[in-house]
Amino acid sequence: MTRQGRGPKKSEIGLRDTAEMLIASALKAAADEVEVVIENSNEFQVEVRKRKIEHLEEAGTRAVRIRVIKDKKTAHAFSSDLSPLTLRRLVKNAVRRAKLATPDEFSGLAPISETRIDPSGLELYDPEVSQVDAKTKIRLALETERLALRDKRITNSYGADFSSNEARIVITNSNGFAGEYQQTCCSLSLGLQAGDTDNRVEDYWMSSKRFFRELDTPEEVARKTVERTVRYLNPRKIKTTKVPVIFEPTQTAWLLGFLFACVSGTAIYQKSSFLSGRLGEKIGNDLLNVVDDGLIPRAPGTRPFDSDGLPSRRTAVIDKGTLTSYLCNTYAARKLGLQSTGNAAGTGVGPTNFHLLPGLRTPEEIIASTERGLILTRTIGHGLNTVTGDISRGAFGLWVEDGRIVHPVSEVTISGNLGQMLKEIQFVGSDLDISTGQVCGPTVKVAEMTVAGE
Amino acid sequence: MISVKFDPKPRHPICHNRRFMPELATMLEKIGLDRKLLRQALDLGLKSGGDFSEIFVERGIHSSINLEEDIIKETSEAVITGLSVRVLSGGKTGFGFTNDLAPERILKTSLTAAAISAGRRQQHFRRFYGRKGLPGIYSDQHPVHSASLNRKIALAREAYDSARNFDPAVVKVKVLLQDSFRELTIANSEGLFVSDSRPLVRLVCHVIAEKNGRRESGFWGGGGRVGLEYFRSSLSPQRIGEQAVREALALLEARDAPAGEMPIVLSAGHSGVLIHEAVGHLLEADFIRKKTSIFWNKLGRKVGSELVTIYDDPTIAGLRGSYALDDEGTTPEKVMLIERGRVCGFLQDRLSAGLMKMPLNGHGRREDFSYPPIPRMANTYIDNGPDDPEEILRSVKKGFYVQSLQGGEVEDSGKFTFSVSLGYLIENGRRTAPVKQATLVGTSTDILSKIEMVGNDLDFSLQTGTCGKEGQSVPVSDGCPTIKITAMTVGGIK
Repeated sequence: MTRQGRGPKKSEIGLRDTAEMLIASALKAAADEVEVVIENSNEFQVEVRKRKIEHLEEAGTRAVRIRVIKDKKTAHAFSSDLSPLTLRRLVKNAVRRAKLATPDEFSGLAPISETRIDPSGLELYDPEVSQVDAKTKIRLALETERLALRDKRITNSYGADFSSNEARIVITNSNGFAGEYQQTCCSLSLGLQAGDTDNRVEDYWMSSKRFFRELDTPEEVARKTVERTVRYLNPRKIKTTKVPVIFEPTQTAWLLGFLFACVSGTAIYQKSSFLSGRLGEKIGNDLLNVVDDGLIPRAPGTRPFDSDGLPSRRTAVIDKGTLTSYLCNTYAARKLGLQSTGNAAGTGVGPTNFHLLPGLRTPEEIIASTERGLILTRTIGHGLNTVTGDISRGAFGLWVEDGRIVHPVSEVTISGNLGQMLKEIQFVGSDLDISTGQVCGPTVKVAEMTVAGE
Repeated sequence: MISVKFDPKPRHPICHNRRFMPELATMLEKIGLDRKLLRQALDLGLKSGGDFSEIFVERGIHSSINLEEDIIKETSEAVITGLSVRVLSGGKTGFGFTNDLAPERILKTSLTAAAISAGRRQQHFRRFYGRKGLPGIYSDQHPVHSASLNRKIALAREAYDSARNFDPAVVKVKVLLQDSFRELTIANSEGLFVSDSRPLVRLVCHVIAEKNGRRESGFWGGGGRVGLEYFRSSLSPQRIGEQAVREALALLEARDAPAGEMPIVLSAGHSGVLIHEAVGHLLEADFIRKKTSIFWNKLGRKVGSELVTIYDDPTIAGLRGSYALDDEGTTPEKVMLIERGRVCGFLQDRLSAGLMKMPLNGHGRREDFSYPPIPRMANTYIDNGPDDPEEILRSVKKGFYVQSLQGGEVEDSGKFTFSVSLGYLIENGRRTAPVKQATLVGTSTDILSKIEMVGNDLDFSLQTGTCGKEGQSVPVSDGCPTIKITAMTVGGIK
């Protein structure tokens, strides 16, 4: 397996030795199959507020996850204590616990794949992230907040934060799979309040990248956060109505997160999704193209293989409105009689880079197309039900009349149904930024939702 | 109903005996730490001018059993071991943690935390003294964490079978039994050296029911800092299964929620999350001292109706949010947050209390060793009022009754939402048609002043709740009696 850097350091060999020792001891304790995942990470975080350092944190952690299968019965174990004594006891317990579970014909490790993906081609690791000294990281956070506080409309700060993380992930199993990769991540974020005490408004912005040099500058983060915060000043209540709703990319992200929960193989075999049993059906209109792509260089969810040890790939989930694939780990795939899509994450199913492909319209054009409607900018609350697709959340936004933003709106809720909304997407924006999260999308306009107010 | 008891001022014996806590020594020995090393690490933390250093050591075992599709699908066991060092210097915090407990790693972690200040030493470590946690908070009969796996499987199975067999409409059941036992040691440069061992259990049941092509889900559960006896005497697994099915069946008959402003009646117990969101978070001392909370300048001021008195009490035996000592080693206190509509208290941790020059009250909590403590709620509730719950319902001509909730969220400006999974229409003083999936939105001060009637039937919500703040999850619970709110925006479809 190709590795970043010149050669293994002593501690890296230690991780693989630990993994192999665990596999051997589980097999010795009469397990049929074993899988070991070890993560070793170092993190740095500084929070500054009102121009002073408030919190400075540095830490190193290691954790091991073990899956043991005995007679088609599964047990999991996890430990942040890597001492041989604890690990041996955990493995023995796991085999004993496995015996008490029920045989499950679908359990078992993934078969070894022919495909091997070279992690270096995915550009997951930037040595600069750990080389940049703490002083520079602290200065970036201080500068970001200082620039924002110069704006007279800003009345309070939640502070700015610089975080970085470097991790090594090793996965080994008794089928003979052994893989490892290194990855980095850094972020610069800011939270602000505007307005007087009893009429406060707030928002937040973050730039997060794998490569230090790609991070937005303090100027950009400060400008964006100020803009996002002050636009809520002097909100009005509105009457309950049905109008088109424009989702900002931050809002498309949670909508897609909800869609992910509904196409996850686990929800499908558990029949807890309204999209269960609808593969091949037209579930949305032609504008809707959704993919999960674990191979995009430098993207936040990219990885050479999933936690079952299967290679990452690109999966079209919705193609021109047609549901073409669920997203599965090995277990969910077997339950559904499908192939794994390389979406194993821990003991469940997770996204790699799950996103809505961009369309042609700019966000400005989409707003201009709207006679009367709501631009959704922030939502709070739970109110998502995968079984029915129902959505009901508290909302903040901007009111649009005759193609122009006229005032902010607060204390409203939006409600609708995902199944219905997928069919009523009128426009998909061109403004996709894949670095914003493992689940992301561009601006989207939905023909009609209920906005409840007074 | 859970009765709320508060023993007046329990005693906290302080003891300077060298061998004061044999059980504590055992936990530290198990992970290979001794007091000498802790003392050395605490002292090192003060070397660059910090005012205070603290070590938090944890060894926790978390187990779970997942029963679904008629089989024990998975069991898991997790061992969380680690240590963190925190150094305070003025309002600044230096923080480091490690799960490699070799002495040189621990001392390096101290140095990392010490780097928050860059001056000369101001303080030295003082000698250790012990303090005992409040007695009687955790059940010590039949602890779940030491029960046999077979016993635990039987418990989960009982809930599963009762849900499965309750109604033919049930198409899917999932039962999760999770228990943990966390042993903690907290030592600080003032000499405090304490331990706490916290049990926690949670048994939950999710069901999906189907009728005429329509599918709905239901949820129920219970637990707390209790032993196996709880599932016999307080809430049986059988009842957990049945209640989850009842909720799904009600939703199968439910219609879309109404939209707009209307009078609201909150059911006793479950609606406590409204108080947690609308009031509790905004009285956490970090938001007060940073002036981000809408209540920062309202101590002593009237913010709500005379009928409203709110407490946060970590000392109620067995509840999920309770603890014998907080995560800074402070003895927890029942705190009155709102007295007859006036703000009268904040939830404090050491950092905020120090900066605000206010006394500690034992609300510094952390998810585990890898997080610094922050001010948190424990068990938050609105106290009983004068009204008969039936009378409250009868007083509403046309409105919305909140039966069960998925959860809520608030921002510091006081705007909050909470998500209703099952509600009912109120017509002419009676609960009528069931209603699904609605969101209530409001502003704290507005809602507090619109509380018009408060029932005398205080109850606590399902003992399954977790509160998230700044990326840290901690177990909490909340409670309230039946309450009437004059008007609130209901976000439904119609």
